[in-house]
Amino acid sequence: MSVTALIALAILVMLAGGFYAGRSRAIQAVAGNTVRLHSLPNYHGYYVAIWTGLPALLLLVAHGLFADKVVENLTYAELRRDAAALNAQLDEALSTDTVYEALRADAVQLRGRADSIASDLERLRSATGEDRDPERMEALDSQRLDALNAVTSADEAVLDRRMELVDGVAAAAREAGAPVRALAGFELTQAPRERRQLFLADTLNIAHGELPSRESRELVAAASIATRHQNQLRYLIGAMALVVAVAGLWRTRSQVEPAFRARNHVESLVTALLLFSSVIAILTTVGIVFSLLFESLRFFSTVPVSEFLFGLQWSPQIALRADQVGQSGAFGAVPLFAGTALITLIAMVVAVPIGLLAAVYLSEYAGPRFRATAKPLLEILAGIPTVVYGFFALLTVGPFIRGLFSWLGFEDVVTQSALSAGLVMGIMIIPFISSLSDDVINSVPQTLRDGSYAMGATRSETISHVVLPAALPGIVGAVLLGVSRAVGETMIVVMAAGQGANLTANPLESVTTITVQIVMLLTGDQEFDSPKTLSAFALGLVLFVVTLIMNVVALRVVQRYREKYD
Amino acid sequence: MTDTADIPKLRQAISDHLPRRYRAEMRFRVAGLSAVGLAVAILVLLVGSIVMQAIPAFTVNQLVLPVRLESDLVDPQGDGSEASLRRGSYGRVLQEAVREQFPGVRDRRQLRTLFTLYTALNSTRLMDEVLADPGLVGETHTFRMPIADDLDLYLKGRLVQDRTLETAGRLTVAEAGRDFELTSSAADFEGLRDTVSNLLRAEAASLDTRAEQARNRAEGQTGEDREDSLYEAGRLSADADALRAEAELESGWVELSDTLPSILVETGETHLRLTALSADGRSARAESLLGDETGSELADWSLYVIDTPEARRRVSDQLIVWTRALVDRGLVSLDFNTALFANADSREPELAGVKGALFGSILTMLITLTLSVPVGVFTALYLEEYAPKNRFTDLIEVNINNLAAVPSIVFGLLGLAVFINSFGLPRSAPLVGGLVLSLMTLPTVIIATRAALKAVPVSIRQAALAVGASKTQTVFHHVLPLAAPGILTGSIIGLAQAMGETAPLLMIGMVAFIADAPTLGLEGLTQPATVMPVQVFLWSDGAERAFEARTAAAILVLLALMIGFNALAIYLRRRFERRW
Repeated sequence: MSVTALIALAILVMLAGGFYAGRSRAIQAVAGNTVRLHSLPNYHGYYVAIWTGLPALLLLVAHGLFADKVVENLTYAELRRDAAALNAQLDEALSTDTVYEALRADAVQLRGRADSIASDLERLRSATGEDRDPERMEALDSQRLDALNAVTSADEAVLDRRMELVDGVAAAAREAGAPVRALAGFELTQAPRERRQLFLADTLNIAHGELPSRESRELVAAASIATRHQNQLRYLIGAMALVVAVAGLWRTRSQVEPAFRARNHVESLVTALLLFSSVIAILTTVGIVFSLLFESLRFFSTVPVSEFLFGLQWSPQIALRADQVGQSGAFGAVPLFAGTALITLIAMVVAVPIGLLAAVYLSEYAGPRFRATAKPLLEILAGIPTVVYGFFALLTVGPFIRGLFSWLGFEDVVTQSALSAGLVMGIMIIPFISSLSDDVINSVPQTLRDGSYAMGATRSETISHVVLPAALPGIVGAVLLGVSRAVGETMIVVMAAGQGANLTANPLESVTTITVQIVMLLTGDQEFDSPKTLSAFALGLVLFVVTLIMNVVALRVVQRYREKYD
Repeated sequence: MTDTADIPKLRQAISDHLPRRYRAEMRFRVAGLSAVGLAVAILVLLVGSIVMQAIPAFTVNQLVLPVRLESDLVDPQGDGSEASLRRGSYGRVLQEAVREQFPGVRDRRQLRTLFTLYTALNSTRLMDEVLADPGLVGETHTFRMPIADDLDLYLKGRLVQDRTLETAGRLTVAEAGRDFELTSSAADFEGLRDTVSNLLRAEAASLDTRAEQARNRAEGQTGEDREDSLYEAGRLSADADALRAEAELESGWVELSDTLPSILVETGETHLRLTALSADGRSARAESLLGDETGSELADWSLYVIDTPEARRRVSDQLIVWTRALVDRGLVSLDFNTALFANADSREPELAGVKGALFGSILTMLITLTLSVPVGVFTALYLEEYAPKNRFTDLIEVNINNLAAVPSIVFGLLGLAVFINSFGLPRSAPLVGGLVLSLMTLPTVIIATRAALKAVPVSIRQAALAVGASKTQTVFHHVLPLAAPGILTGSIIGLAQAMGETAPLLMIGMVAFIADAPTLGLEGLTQPATVMPVQVFLWSDGAERAFEARTAAAILVLLALMIGFNALAIYLRRRFERRW
């Protein structure tokens, strides 16, 4: 059993002991006559137990959450100190190496050239009238790309030379019998960023006794340092937790006396806990907004917002590397927006009439028994997981539509069409629309209907001329909520709508949507810094903002409508 | 003032109008009813189609073979230790067992085809059986293994169109080199000759249509494109003519290519495939697919026709013949598909099961349960019982309402950016999945709890306060227990929703292929895993057709779980519901 677990167990025992200590001391203080206590004996017990256990346990939890990060940083710092001599050697080697210097000078010069071309281009772009020469601009643009590519390869050459020198220094040090720790530190400090992360992760894996991705003497040496720090930290935190627990027990136990307001203390803690819980909801929203915004801003630093929002080309897959300016993929999201809109439109064309008519029938015509069977059936439709709808669309509806339209004489109908995805999504939204509209129609006051019947109107005339107009705002709200669901729905479109970013209004073609692209971009191997991955967050932001606006409007409309008849 | 003389006229006008109005009423009513009916019909269609697709997945055809566990193959070190048994070449053992059934197969390529009767992964299962009972070494053991997925589908009649024809005449067999020449005393081959001719004519007609299309295309083209189109049209026409000539052949032999139905002659253990039919439909040429012990005169023989051409199916005639022979020998049995529930995911459909996903779902749901229910209930308690009416609480309320409508995939993005990239939690782990799903379920739990709290009458609170209970005592001792059934119901429904959720879990990498079920325990929380709906998604993408049925079966398992959850919620509501 690990030390931490033992300490946690000890604290739990102390917590229980604290409860009994507080409770029995309170009873003793009034010699068993508990009526004289301000708070019930149990509250004294709770009070002592909370202050004994809570801070210490929080400390242990914090240790569990952050220990790895701290150990990583400490290990890194120590290894860097060990490698100081080697790093100095490398610096010297770099400063005396003529090839390296020449390469660097080259790179600087090329960068200067690229910058000057870019500023020329900028000047030309902002110019008006005769100075604005499109031909020259195009030429400059291609020159700029060439220059940038040249800069990239020059930078690479510099890096390559640097790595050569690094290897040289490391080999020399190994020959000279330098300590393994110094070599480990050197390897770590000179590695590029992602390699550094991997090195540290492997170090920690060995320290935890898990399998690293590779093994080397350097890693083992680094791991021994990490293990040392880990143990030190573990004992330090463990001791601190014990001290805190003992101090809490001792301090709060001495507070217990008949007039002590233990209940009020405990209750305010409970209230604090409740408040903290409700803050989590806000933290979630903040987390969503910030994570989306932060990653989107990183994306928009490489791709301009206007290109993203108004560009007509979407092909993120060819973005190989962030620094390859010439081939940075196309991130014009209009085809995705159009695809989303097309599928949503089809879905609403299916869902609104059926859902609304069903709601009208269930609330105005159906008898209680019919209602009692039909409503749960509709609710089952709402409870089916979307992936099941996706499967249905893929294997039943898609082939059926293809068969139907080829039979009608259309050529090249695909299985994964906007129509099949939209139809099935509409089916998914039917119960949503019908149950919301049902509520709204039911809350139209009976007096309105009675008034209409008194004028001699039939039921259908009452519904279409009185009830529905009265319920219209609520129904609009319901439809808006349905649209927002359709826009954000993922699995049906991932499975049934296809992935080609076609800009088309033909429902028989395959289109792609915002959500499909998010899934495509973020599943499978990914590097987190490429615009390809980041663009998913920009799409997520668009999705979030659009649905948020629709929800806010819909909720407002529904709420205002409810108030009108309450 | 209305002129009284007009009243009869008005009345007349109104009653003239009435039939039309009643008809409109009727139409409206029928429209409403048919909308409800349509929705219900779609539900029935949806569930029905999935059940129909799932049925074949619940049974599996298993090869029941005697395997000789020779000790030098299974126990290379000869000491019977576990290490030694793990080194055994069980693949060889299985291959030997299958070869024993078909000793005539010697050719290397044919042998390779023979071993596709089952997947090689079965050797691991055999090893497990031996490890469980080392006494089997040196014995002959009856081993059951699922037959290859395509053959399983074939045996269930879902892969090909086939039929068996009864024969009337006696068959005369004459050996002609490696082939045979068959002649029937009755007109047994004549019907087949007609079938083949009709198929050839139909094929020729379709080629003609395509040639016509190419010619039409050429009309609108110029230069090289036009040349290409015309050339294509000419080629297609020539092919069509050749086919027609073959169909109308008066004498000689009509070759049976792999785009035509396969015709097999079966007699006892011998299976022959026809390679050509004589134009007069009296005799046929055949090659042997299994066995060649035929007499020269046969009375007891049958014709087995596979209408789906060999070129258009995934299993060859040879494999089908072997499978049929095994069935005839009673070595194939149709069993309940235990692998579907006992195994984790696998690349081979016949070995793939939902256990891994089921365990992943359980772990994920445990996290969701322990996080979202307490936090949700506490939040609702705060908002409903404690919160002062101010801007901060308004903010929280608006927030929760909006969170309830945020697309689920956005929660996945949050989980990816925060839990995985910032906190460094492992990808694909039930822990992260549970965290994401609990954030997503939180609004549902909060809203349900608030409704349950609202339903507790004020008089309860007032009575508690009147006898001197504090606010917290009132809430925790009186209001919360009374609201508990409602809270429970809402939480269960929320959890059921979370269990069916797929999209956010794709974002955090729970979509990987994972061949081992996670451990049901604390350490399982950080092991890579997947969940039921994601398993459905993964399998729906599977290349093998057998995955289709398994996907539907997995959906049924998922739906059964969700219906179970919801039934529990309804039961609890009925059992504990109180009306005030």
